[in-house]
Amino acid sequence: MSGVRSVSCPNCGGSLEVRAAGYSASLGCRYCGSILDVSRPEVELVAAYNREATTFTLPPGSRGTVFGTEWQVVGALRRSDGEGAWDEYLLFNPYVGYRWPVASEGEWQFGTMLLDRPQGDADSVTWRGARYTRAMHQPDATTETVVGEFYWRVARGDRARCSSYERGHDSLSREESDGEVNWTLLVPVRAREIEGAFGLKRDAPANKRQSLYVSHADHTDDLPRMFMIATVAAIVVLALMLALSGPTQRAAAIIKAPFGSTREGQMIGTITIERPWQFVTIHAQGSDFENRWVDIDYSVVDRATGQSIDGYGLVEHYSGRDSDGTWSEGSRTTKTLFGRLPRGIYDIYADAQAHAWPIDEAPQASGWNAPEVLDVRVEAKTGSVPWGNFWTLLLLLMAVPLLVTWRRVRNRE
Amino acid sequence: MIHCPSCGADLAVRDGAVPYTTCAHCQSLVLREGMNAEAIGKVAVVPFDVSPVQLGTSFTVERLHMVTVGRVRWGWSAGSWNEWFLRADDGSARWLAEAMGMFMLTVERPDILERPLAQILVHGGPLIPGCELEIDGEAYQATDVKDAQCLGSEGDLPFPTLSGWQMTNVDFRAPGGGALSLQRDSEGTTAWLGWWFELAGLAPKGLREIEGWTLPEAMR
Repeated sequence: MSGVRSVSCPNCGGSLEVRAAGYSASLGCRYCGSILDVSRPEVELVAAYNREATTFTLPPGSRGTVFGTEWQVVGALRRSDGEGAWDEYLLFNPYVGYRWPVASEGEWQFGTMLLDRPQGDADSVTWRGARYTRAMHQPDATTETVVGEFYWRVARGDRARCSSYERGHDSLSREESDGEVNWTLLVPVRAREIEGAFGLKRDAPANKRQSLYVSHADHTDDLPRMFMIATVAAIVVLALMLALSGPTQRAAAIIKAPFGSTREGQMIGTITIERPWQFVTIHAQGSDFENRWVDIDYSVVDRATGQSIDGYGLVEHYSGRDSDGTWSEGSRTTKTLFGRLPRGIYDIYADAQAHAWPIDEAPQASGWNAPEVLDVRVEAKTGSVPWGNFWTLLLLLMAVPLLVTWRRVRNRE
Repeated sequence: MIHCPSCGADLAVRDGAVPYTTCAHCQSLVLREGMNAEAIGKVAVVPFDVSPVQLGTSFTVERLHMVTVGRVRWGWSAGSWNEWFLRADDGSARWLAEAMGMFMLTVERPDILERPLAQILVHGGPLIPGCELEIDGEAYQATDVKDAQCLGSEGDLPFPTLSGWQMTNVDFRAPGGGALSLQRDSEGTTAWLGWWFELAGLAPKGLREIEGWTLPEAMR
């Protein structure tokens, strides 16, 4: 039996395919844009339009393999919020279900609808033990055009109330329409990962820029002196920062990051700050994992007051294959800086949770398959130099002489 | 072996514990009582779909093995969906409902009907989305209320799926992926409690081969 149901558009007579037959409720005709009801054996016209259908980057019907699963594009929506427009796609595989790639200004996210729902309030929500904070105010999303099929009733002008909650590079999107609330996890994906998977040609890369001809400075120039002064100032500041950073103390431990739950209160160790104040860095190094990330929440607790200073670390590593070959991204190490901790004795704890990319396995009714756990080595160190501050300073010191150099090179072209 | 009283074809008994079966040959709805079989009407053919489930597909969740014995297709004002009737090895009945490419697997929980909120539905009253019910310490919230008509059926089923058979269905969801479905039809109200799953999480065997698609290795 064929996997596709053939229907014809009651408005323009065009022949159309229903690829997710049985699930799809609405179909936007790719010839005239009319909206059809395909949930019953007889196709009904819901809204007639006579215009050329919008073209989408991923045309309905195209197939591609993303994250190891073959998907077919069955629907595409263009939506807008008054400020800008973006495209949402519906991918289908009868053995896996649906996924939602979203393209906005050339950036792609890959969406998976959640079976287990985040809990919280307007400001932040918790999902699988991790906290997501609300992104800036988002106005309602309005559907502009519809091509292909959807498992709910779509119409041009549909409005949905959207809000988004973020953690690191991921976001949870809550969408409310017709009294029904749905949550989607959106993770970033490379444009070429998606576009390559669906066999789209990317624009040819721009010609490599000609290397710039840099002249020697004139003899009467004060530019070398400007560089010299900036360099000396930077060295003096660096020496001062190193002197102020004070003695080094270390505490280290290997913590466990389980999937699907957060292991809380894992002790890293105790450090003592003997100066009036000192910087502390916490360095995390993940084991040899792939397509995984670990969220780490640190608490540096002052023994005297019981007060906790909190910080956040992320170790991640992803790799895959696309049309350009293999790629990898992310870092299995991360550094979190705690500025100005006052004198005292501090206990350092970490909460850790591991995640699979692009999405974790849904938790099952009971935990009969033993959960995977990642090891992360965490080391806390006092007396660290706030390198970020130093590099900012260096940039400011060098800004003027570099600007002068740049202008000269440009004028010479 | 019993035969269809209408056309004489063999009637496969997939589940002897339920009274109704649909003759695959002539679409007669047959009421079985022991070795007697009575044709009580005609049932619509289930419209074509690409559901991965078929009669005979088995699932294993928490070591409980279940086999698909029947299906009802329901239609409502904004779409349609399948509910598969399963018989588990421990003798219990389950419903597997398909929605949005995901699956809701439930088992009957008559005790839930005693709750005041469920009693409203039992006594013919309406429920509205947003109302809450606490079960085993989890808050279940009503997400949608549908009046549905039977669009067709196949296999063995606990109720007569003649054309015109209707029900009111109220779906509830819990934060952890829990699902509750209250269903009211002309024979009464039933409560079904369970979980949402992705197909892979149900460890399916004997899935339907769909032309143009490759069955994932893990599901063969």
